[in-house]
Amino acid sequence: MTQRERNWLLVAPAGAWFLVMLVLPLSVVFIFSFGERGAAGGYVPAFTFEQYANLPARLTAFKNTMILAPLGTLAAMLIAYPLAYQLAVRTDPKWKNILLVLVIVPFWTSILIRSYAWIFLLGGRGIPALLGTFGIEGVRLIYTPFAVLIGIVYGYLPLMVFPIYVALDRLDNRLLEASSDLGARPLATFFKVTLPLSIPGVATGCMLVFILLMGEFLIPALLGGGKVFFVGNALVDLFLQSRNWAFGSAVAFTLIVIMLVTVTIYMRLIARLQTGRDDVSVM
Amino acid sequence: MRAYAICVYLFLYTPIAIIAVFSFNAGRHASQLQGFSMQWYGRALKNPFVMEALETSLIVALISATLASILGTLAAVGLQGIRGPARAIFDAIIYVAVMIPGIVIGIATLIALVTVFGVLNPWLAAIWPEGATPPALSMGMGSLIAAHTMFTMALVIIIVRARLGTLEQALGEASADLYATPFGTFRQVTLPLIAPAVLAGFLLSFTFSFDDFIIAFFVAGSETTLPIYVFSSIRRGVTPEINAIGTMVMLASLILLIAAQLILRRGDRK
Amino acid sequence: MKNRDTISKTKFMEELRRYEKGSVTRRHFLGVTGLGAATAVMGAAMPGLRAGPAFAQDIGDRVVLATWPNYHDTANFDAFTDATGAFVQVNVFGSNEEMLAKLQAGGSGWDVFVPTNYTITTYVSEDLIEPLDVSKLPNYDPSAFDPRFSDAGTVDGTLYAVPKNWGTTGFAVNTAHDGGNALTTWKDFFDRTKDDYSGRTMVHDYQLTTIGNALKYFGYSFNSVDENELADAEKLLIEVKPHLFAISSDYQPAMRSGDAWLTMCWTGDGKQMNSDMPEISYVLGAEGGEIWSDYYAIPKGAPHSDAAYALINHMLDPQVNAREVLAHGYPVADANTNALLPDEIKNDPILYPAQELLDALEFGAAATLTDPNRAELLARFKSA
Repeated sequence: MTQRERNWLLVAPAGAWFLVMLVLPLSVVFIFSFGERGAAGGYVPAFTFEQYANLPARLTAFKNTMILAPLGTLAAMLIAYPLAYQLAVRTDPKWKNILLVLVIVPFWTSILIRSYAWIFLLGGRGIPALLGTFGIEGVRLIYTPFAVLIGIVYGYLPLMVFPIYVALDRLDNRLLEASSDLGARPLATFFKVTLPLSIPGVATGCMLVFILLMGEFLIPALLGGGKVFFVGNALVDLFLQSRNWAFGSAVAFTLIVIMLVTVTIYMRLIARLQTGRDDVSVM
Repeated sequence: MRAYAICVYLFLYTPIAIIAVFSFNAGRHASQLQGFSMQWYGRALKNPFVMEALETSLIVALISATLASILGTLAAVGLQGIRGPARAIFDAIIYVAVMIPGIVIGIATLIALVTVFGVLNPWLAAIWPEGATPPALSMGMGSLIAAHTMFTMALVIIIVRARLGTLEQALGEASADLYATPFGTFRQVTLPLIAPAVLAGFLLSFTFSFDDFIIAFFVAGSETTLPIYVFSSIRRGVTPEINAIGTMVMLASLILLIAAQLILRRGDRK
Repeated sequence: MKNRDTISKTKFMEELRRYEKGSVTRRHFLGVTGLGAATAVMGAAMPGLRAGPAFAQDIGDRVVLATWPNYHDTANFDAFTDATGAFVQVNVFGSNEEMLAKLQAGGSGWDVFVPTNYTITTYVSEDLIEPLDVSKLPNYDPSAFDPRFSDAGTVDGTLYAVPKNWGTTGFAVNTAHDGGNALTTWKDFFDRTKDDYSGRTMVHDYQLTTIGNALKYFGYSFNSVDENELADAEKLLIEVKPHLFAISSDYQPAMRSGDAWLTMCWTGDGKQMNSDMPEISYVLGAEGGEIWSDYYAIPKGAPHSDAAYALINHMLDPQVNAREVLAHGYPVADANTNALLPDEIKNDPILYPAQELLDALEFGAAATLTDPNRAELLARFKSA
């Protein structure tokens, strides 16, 4: 057996698996997206662009996703960065690990159960009631876009803290010392040294969270009260309520294309920002 | 700065605390505290549907994480020596696999398999020997494991390949120069070096599979995993039984994590 | 034993509430209410229900039921488990469409499900429902049922489903917030949602009722599939959407917590909320709306068929059925069960509305289930 044959043999099982469980299903989605809905639901073969022409009927779902996914990513990043900084740079090494683990532990309770806790916290008897005792009446949180935003930031915060922490942790403390020895004020040190060096971590975290948010279904379903609709919710609805496989396939395929395009552009952009540096690792 | 960190931890742990507190609720409702009781823990542990859902989740996570780690590692090693268009196609597939939202994977797998089974089943029935009941392919644990393995395998390949990339090619060549067989090189040189990455991939795959709701929601057929059980219970109106399950799962993860940490530390000292 | 059997209905409800709050144990509850005794008697009378070795017909250790929110008395399931050894797993759904979609995708794993009258012909034509073997349902007494609520179970002379409960679809309103100006019509429901009930209203996540009641606003048929009439309904729904609290078929928690004040509502939910919170009243829109009947049925390929029959038979037992009614507040069409119900239930205006209100109601039509425009309309409304 040659080296070449051996390599192919090693790759073959994974390749076959991807073929059956990824390439085949995606091809079916692509083919079905040109079909029609059956009389009692499902799919009937056809060749029509009708489903794609009907996409504007889900425009709001796409818009909500395209607004709330980046917004949620940004919010998670803004909250995660100072925490990661505190953990990586300002914390006694003795405590680092334990504090880091504490960030991840909530991640290990089902997102379902954690979101359910938020239904209670954001509902009339939770935070609004608490605000009421301070004289702030009539605050409504549950089933609003804001509730969904809190839910997604909460759900994905650990995913953001981790890569940023790793990037900051690698930062050589001597660099920071050198910077301050050279007379740079702390803020200048942060913007000139720390921030640029942590960009790869931020980029990784943002991409992870963004990808997950683009396909989100659960959090809007639980905290949005059926009113805050993501593409994911539209998809579940099309397959589990109106049973329109053809239109559902068109929506799914459109979502895939949007994601591939945005993520590819994003990665190019990050790569360009980082040209000339060799430690870029977005993925 | 420290106050900020404390605020974030509060944000992270308030909902968890609520879950834990209500798991000890004596009452049936999940929004009104009515005294302390451990009864929901007993109920959860005695409820055959909960235990079975847990078992299903563990089996699925264990099998798919194992398959993904083995096949993914082999593929990552094999891919090192493959160049050209084949490599580009494979890379693109991995890229697509991790990029596509779980919900799309779930739906696509569902409609593809339902369609394929719809074609295969009559065909199987036709070629099956007279008298014997022909097998009927349907969605279930098999399709769930297959879907989870597909996604997590892509993760393993990425993680292991990153590790392989940092290893010096020269190391392998040196080993070959010393007349080691390719398999010997792999076993004695490469494998020990990538073992941490494989382990990390396995753990990540296990966690993903154990926690996944959305793919399972579509492809699990009549199988109930723990997240699916929790989801349907939430729709039914939550009793503190769900809180008890959540608290137990979290405690178990925490214990495992601490144990792993201790073992690793002991390993370091050696 | 004697006085246990004749436990008063008030006492029964008190015990039930206590049991539900968790302040008494199930054993206590079963004992006090005579449910335990009933279970034991039943087990002896019906071999299929008995777990004892003498009649060892093993029905397995489980049965999976797909049903609607707040639609059962858990104590009856516990009694079933005690008698047969089979646990009941309850899956709750918010719309008939969802049930149909799950069955169409195959491998639902359900043993018993609860379709509404107008959907059964579609299940038959899609070959998703099993004809029922009446010999396995000794408790089913067809002559005792009001045919209006049991007819839909038979399609082309074959029995596919037996009646569970019937009821109406109206709305529940928290009258503490109506400013002395009561809501009586679907026009009120939608107009007030845009006004003093803004941000406090819920509609079902269900095309039949949400679209149907919006159609009633204009005086159209609840079942209309006319394009222009549906367009009017869609316009109204989208106009109202910013004023909604949520779109969900599980509205009790929000109504009880005071987050929501007004919701589309089924009979039993109205009764349950009204019993606990008298300020929540149940109203049938004067323009009309839906009258319906739900059925027990067995889907094709049910994995635990014996357990499915045993469960349906158990639920049809007039004693059990009467306890269900007391717990969930939906009327039954079974004369044997009604004979066991106290007068205050039988005269309850929520369960049995005035004739002129009933006359205006329509049964759902099969066409609405398969009509692509209605399905798509609701999806557009939700994603709008």
